[in-house]
Amino acid sequence: MVYFLIALLVLVMLSGAPLFVVILSAAMMGFYFADIDLSIIAIELYRITETPLLLALPLFTFAGYLLSESQASERLIKLTRVFFGWMPSGLAIVSLVACAVFTAFTGASGVTIVALGALLLPALIKEGYDKKFSLGLVTSTGSLGLLLPPSIPLILYGIIVQQMDIGQNFTLTELFMAGLLPGLLMIIILAVWVAWITRHRVSEKTSFCWKQAVDAVRDAAWELPLPLFILLGIFGGFFAVSEVAAVTALYVLIVECLIYKEINLRKLIDVMSDSMQMVGGILLILAVSMAFTNYLVDAEVPLHLFEWVKENVDSRLTFLVVLNLFLLVLGAILDIFSALIIVVPLIVPVAIGYGVHPVHLGMIFLANMQIGYLTPPVGMNLFIASYRFNRPITELYQATLPFMLILLFCVIIITYVPWLSLWFLEP
Amino acid sequence: MRQVVKIIKLWLIMIHKCYKFLLKTETGILVVLLLSMIVLAVVQIIMRNFFSSGLLWVDSFVRIAVLWMALLGAMVASRKGKHITIEVFSQNLSDRMQHIIRRITDTYTAVICFVVMYYSFVFVKTEYEDAGLAFAFIPNWLCEAIIPFAFLVIGLRYMIAALFDLRHL
Repeated sequence: MVYFLIALLVLVMLSGAPLFVVILSAAMMGFYFADIDLSIIAIELYRITETPLLLALPLFTFAGYLLSESQASERLIKLTRVFFGWMPSGLAIVSLVACAVFTAFTGASGVTIVALGALLLPALIKEGYDKKFSLGLVTSTGSLGLLLPPSIPLILYGIIVQQMDIGQNFTLTELFMAGLLPGLLMIIILAVWVAWITRHRVSEKTSFCWKQAVDAVRDAAWELPLPLFILLGIFGGFFAVSEVAAVTALYVLIVECLIYKEINLRKLIDVMSDSMQMVGGILLILAVSMAFTNYLVDAEVPLHLFEWVKENVDSRLTFLVVLNLFLLVLGAILDIFSALIIVVPLIVPVAIGYGVHPVHLGMIFLANMQIGYLTPPVGMNLFIASYRFNRPITELYQATLPFMLILLFCVIIITYVPWLSLWFLEP
Repeated sequence: MRQVVKIIKLWLIMIHKCYKFLLKTETGILVVLLLSMIVLAVVQIIMRNFFSSGLLWVDSFVRIAVLWMALLGAMVASRKGKHITIEVFSQNLSDRMQHIIRRITDTYTAVICFVVMYYSFVFVKTEYEDAGLAFAFIPNWLCEAIIPFAFLVIGLRYMIAALFDLRHL
């Protein structure tokens, strides 16, 4: 009977019922069979209010949406072009850096491709870069920067793990710290590879120009303090992350609406509604998953899972290999937010059992998910790029493949060199 | 007869206007909540750092506002069925089959939402009888009341989508 219901639920899920409904059904089924009154669902949903950190999520998301609706993308490209454009393969490296910064701020919802890719792609082709290469570059960099603060998936991972009861606690600041080196590693390796592959390209070199530099800095003068403030605020220990988020949201609101005047009231309301729909969708799944996870913990499912894995996987190294494969498949079928919310509570205890630090696990998880943005059938970057640049998905598969392999190489390094993520923690 | 048609027409226009007004109210509350969250959180930081004091109720308000925001956002997202799904089957099916499957999953969604609405209503009712306070003079049950309400609205939207094959309410 139970197995039949589970099979039915999986069928409903794969037929396209909203994920939150599927998880809700599973949770209610569990509580029903455990003879617990179903009113517990409401109590569990209300637990959302017990996590003060959660405030950071809507605020950063809103700020990110607002930035992507303004002309901040143009200013960012102008700025990075001045400072990186003189390098060999300058524009390609500009794309990498600009996309990484933009994604960190806007939370990897595919908006980077829409806002930046659309500006970068024609510019790249105009400067003589191969068409297929350019397409692959802007599509795969749409999720670069996922590991850099204050990216939303990073915050979400921190929130999920913190509200679990595990032995090793860490702060969100430590998680941000951990993301720095792996995030930079991806950018640097991609930059080196990009420079190597385009070394034969003939085009006039742009040289560094002071006048342009001053101009670009002046243009972005109001936005430049933002990354500084966020980094100082978080790492300086002056503010809590949710406080940084609040100040960021207010600052971006004032700058884009009142100083640059690029967002009018009507558009502002649309941005608010759109960003909160996304937040609502994610938080609803988070809330129902918290209920479901509670049921699973009561039923000792993570424990059984760990025992089962332990029987089949004997060493930490093999565990990491299996984990990588599992996450790659997961990233190919689930979007990053649902994957985080559903799977993290299950694998954190198992990973800790194998001596993997939860902060390191977060880096492994997100780095794998970043590749998931590029793999069919649910590779979000592929769909967005296909829609935005009007190209068939199959062409994009081919174009992004080399970039995906490079990223895969980075994921392997991040997975097997824990130092990259944990260097600042006491051994 | 003409008179009757006219009256019916008038009624429909009225209903339509009311519905438009409700949609605007929904978005309006969302906007006000988000703005109040941002402003209050910043005010709290200023109070704490420069005047070493703080408003007692702000922290509670903001935490509850996140729940309201999440559920209101989810309500608005269900207007166009924008919730996160995993669609594996439907891609290779005919249009007709896709519509049928969509209607089935929408009906299922509506039913589950109504069940949750019922049980969370029961919860809110017991909280009402307990009469505990969340912060300042605001009772707990009022803060929790958004849960059954949101599931009612989401359920209704999916039910209408299932019945009339509509995706723009």
